[in-house]
Amino acid sequence: MEFYTVSKDPRPVRLSETTRIFAYDSLEHHAYGLAAMKTPAVTMDHIENFTALSPLEQERLILAEIAEKAPTRLIQGERLCGAATLGLAISHVIPATYAGNVVFPSISHLTVDFGCVLTEGLCGIRKRVEASLEAHKGSDREAFLINCMTALDAFETWHGRYVDALEHHADAVARDGVLPPCPAFEVTLQNLRRVPLQPATTFHEAVQSLWMAFAFVRLMGNWPGIGRLDVLLGDYLERDLQNGILTLEEAREILAHFFIKGCEWVRGGDQGSGDAQHYQNIVLGGIDEQGRDVTNTVTYLVLDILEELPIGDFPTTIRVNAHTDEKLLRRVAEVMRHGGGVLAIYNEDLVLKAMTGYGYALDEARRFANDGCWEVQVPGKTNFSYCPFDGLGILQHTTLRDYAEDVDYASFDSLFEAYLRDLGAVVESICRGRLGCFSVMDADNGIYTWHPTLPCTVVSLFEGGCIEKGLSYHEGGPVYHVLSPHIGGLADTVNSLYAIQKLVFDDKRLTFAELMTVLRSNWEGYEPLRQFALNKYAYYGNDNPECDRIAAALLSGFADACARYDGLSPYKFPAGVSTFGRQLEWAPHRLAAPHGRKQGEVLAANASPTPGTDREGATAMIRSYATADLSRMVTGAALDCKLLPSSVAGEDGLNALVSLMRGFVAEGGFFLQPDVADAKILRDAQEHPENYQTLSVRVSGWNARFVTLCREWQDMVIGQNEG
Amino acid sequence: MINDKHLTLPVTELQRFCMHDGPGIRTVVFFKGCPLRCVWCHNPETQNSHGEMLYYPERCISCGGCMSVCSHKAQNVTETHVFDRSLCAACGLCAEVCPTEAMMPAVKDMTLESILSAVVRDRSFFGEDGGVTLSGGEPMMHPEGALRLLSACKEAGLHTAIETSGEFSRMLIPSLIQLADLLLWDVKDTNNERHRQYTGVPNLRILDNLRLADRLGGRTRLRCIVVEGVNTDDAHWDSVAALYGELNCCEGVELLPYHAYGGSKMLPLGLSDNGRKDWIPTDERLNNIKKRLRERGVTVIDGSR
Repeated sequence: MEFYTVSKDPRPVRLSETTRIFAYDSLEHHAYGLAAMKTPAVTMDHIENFTALSPLEQERLILAEIAEKAPTRLIQGERLCGAATLGLAISHVIPATYAGNVVFPSISHLTVDFGCVLTEGLCGIRKRVEASLEAHKGSDREAFLINCMTALDAFETWHGRYVDALEHHADAVARDGVLPPCPAFEVTLQNLRRVPLQPATTFHEAVQSLWMAFAFVRLMGNWPGIGRLDVLLGDYLERDLQNGILTLEEAREILAHFFIKGCEWVRGGDQGSGDAQHYQNIVLGGIDEQGRDVTNTVTYLVLDILEELPIGDFPTTIRVNAHTDEKLLRRVAEVMRHGGGVLAIYNEDLVLKAMTGYGYALDEARRFANDGCWEVQVPGKTNFSYCPFDGLGILQHTTLRDYAEDVDYASFDSLFEAYLRDLGAVVESICRGRLGCFSVMDADNGIYTWHPTLPCTVVSLFEGGCIEKGLSYHEGGPVYHVLSPHIGGLADTVNSLYAIQKLVFDDKRLTFAELMTVLRSNWEGYEPLRQFALNKYAYYGNDNPECDRIAAALLSGFADACARYDGLSPYKFPAGVSTFGRQLEWAPHRLAAPHGRKQGEVLAANASPTPGTDREGATAMIRSYATADLSRMVTGAALDCKLLPSSVAGEDGLNALVSLMRGFVAEGGFFLQPDVADAKILRDAQEHPENYQTLSVRVSGWNARFVTLCREWQDMVIGQNEG
Repeated sequence: MINDKHLTLPVTELQRFCMHDGPGIRTVVFFKGCPLRCVWCHNPETQNSHGEMLYYPERCISCGGCMSVCSHKAQNVTETHVFDRSLCAACGLCAEVCPTEAMMPAVKDMTLESILSAVVRDRSFFGEDGGVTLSGGEPMMHPEGALRLLSACKEAGLHTAIETSGEFSRMLIPSLIQLADLLLWDVKDTNNERHRQYTGVPNLRILDNLRLADRLGGRTRLRCIVVEGVNTDDAHWDSVAALYGELNCCEGVELLPYHAYGGSKMLPLGLSDNGRKDWIPTDERLNNIKKRLRERGVTVIDGSR
């Protein structure tokens, strides 16, 4: 069996045939997601007066019900067990209904602290909850802490059902030989006798414990990121290798099962944006709290696995800094060349500058991971959300008032100033909205009373601060509270402004009023002028300082606008740049644009150039993007970089890919999502999906099996590749 | 420092982020003018030394802009656009007004300073391997400018390479190898008669120059085009291997499979597409040649073009 690659060279084979077949079947045949949809949720209909109960009481019953009733799933040969088997979780809700309706939403955009499960075990967490219960006895925080106990009970119940199932299997094998013996199950049963209740003592236990905690959080409907996998697992592996109780090959097999099990929601639900977008992000490499390089054997094993198996469900980002080992970067480049866009890179130097500049302590900043896409956060301690808006929409609808006849600006500077003012108003409404989450008791001492929200106990268990304070994830529990305003349409706003500057003010090809008329007509009757605007100016992405300085000034103004609301509350409002594919939903609302674009066109993604405008190649694109001080985009600014398989082929191509990453870091980029793909191949995949079942592409902060994207999303990805 | 601000070079293109014109990421400066006339040329717009216009009729929207600025009556738009190349003086005014880039000048005269300032922009991406490559055309058709540019790039701390046909005065070799860290030396055919037939010049000076450059310590990579049925005979590749064996400072041999793309680039020059699909070598052919070379001790640089 062969797995798809865009490279001329096949993917290497290191894993056992059994594991490879398990991977293939998991990607192609098992369709676990579809199986999960058969039991979408547990029902609470049998509870009398359910609606009369408090939300926390309802949650308590739901957690117990899911733990007892969710189907267990054991797959012959799997080396890890536990599965999020209720289908509605794939739709991002707690999979429990009452009278046919979902009861509670769930949580995403966070990386919880799975490390505490590995090091303390559930019993250790339980002790902390007990201590906090004692401390908060009689207070209004008790109810939340009781739910924490219930959540732990639910975890143990669910875990116990897997132990029972495995014992039952072993009995059945021994008793009558009806079931085939499964050595993997025997090992799993041994592991489950310790983890996740107790701290893990071996690599295999640690992987099992991590998987089970992840699966449990997802079983309850939440979509956490994984965080720094090599940091979580590295020490266990080194110890086992030293003690000779595990070989590297065995470890790779075990870890591969973690990745294969991560496909468990494949083909569940019906999403236009692909069936692998569940925010299960992984971060690798970089430095630890003390500044030491964390790269370890697990880092390389993950790269081995991603190189061999085309699993895109765990978008993985490498923290790269100016001193990153050449060996690691070459491995990263080798994996990237197979396509799928599964690997991205953070410029760690810039991320740390951004976070410390924003006020995070250096050791906290150094722990950064992401929220499940690529927005950086201190994992396991952060309540995170972001609020996207269309920057181009502000220019078109507010500043230029849908190109009304009387819109006029005497200079470029006055136009730009007006735009920043309108942008500031949008930022203000985003930030002010969040200030209503609590009432202030004593602002000087940072005492706030959080308004109660819907329960979210399961993620709160794994978020530093919640248990100790007796407050949930949404009610002030975590250490940090972040709402990041995210500007979208950056390139098109910049290009619009630049085209106006050139056409009207510099080259004086027409007056402001005339341009408004042209744009109102959607360029009808002005084709030569439209072509001129399209072709004659070097837009964002071509390393044209005249244009790029507009981007820099715009982002600086945006960051200033966000900073105005910091310090007023526990909430921080760091800026970021993203579209995450929203350019599709924004397209119908967008008018003709001054850089020659017609109404309704699908425009730029994230902080990337407008499709078709970047003519100078990836290096020029990166320089344009990094002209702005991206350290002020504290949660991130993503750059998509499409590369042709032929251009990164061979030894030269490999070296060049490494140099590209080094240059990205040196230039001050933030987050780079390279994807090696070929528009021709993608078109063929559109026509003949049957030949490309395992072809994965980078969409935007996540990967998707190309064939599971709806046509509109496929076209967008192809458009970006044709660039 | 570049002292002569007035010295210009005819540049057809300044291409950034090139992965296959020497090691690492490179910015390639293509010069106009070439002493060879290879029938398989994939940059035909760089052959002639004189200025010429590239015309892409499929981009034209018949707006008439060109006609209004052309003083040579080369542009005519009534119903549709007609470009009369015989009247064109390649002044380039039409290209300035053409909104769709249907008319483009094949060459732009650039000062050394402006070339250098464009090239250093990608310094962060060059790393230890990458840098600048002079290509064309034949850069050594402009020896003074090419050598000064190489010198300026070296002074700026960039790795320098030149892609050359080798067809230039041997007097230039000592300076060239001082200034170019790597010579990408085209060896199109070791069979002299065929070389003359397909490129218009014999290969004697090219190979002599190569040997001289090597004797003087110039680092080279041999770049060998593979044209199916033309130079795919074993004798040629055995000679390539022998040539490689003679050289002391040669990094290896890189194969450049013929592609028909150059043929399509004849069209904007007003010539007919002379691309030949039957000249494209198969992967199997390329692998056999690589194998044959390796068996004869040659380091094959796998650029995988």
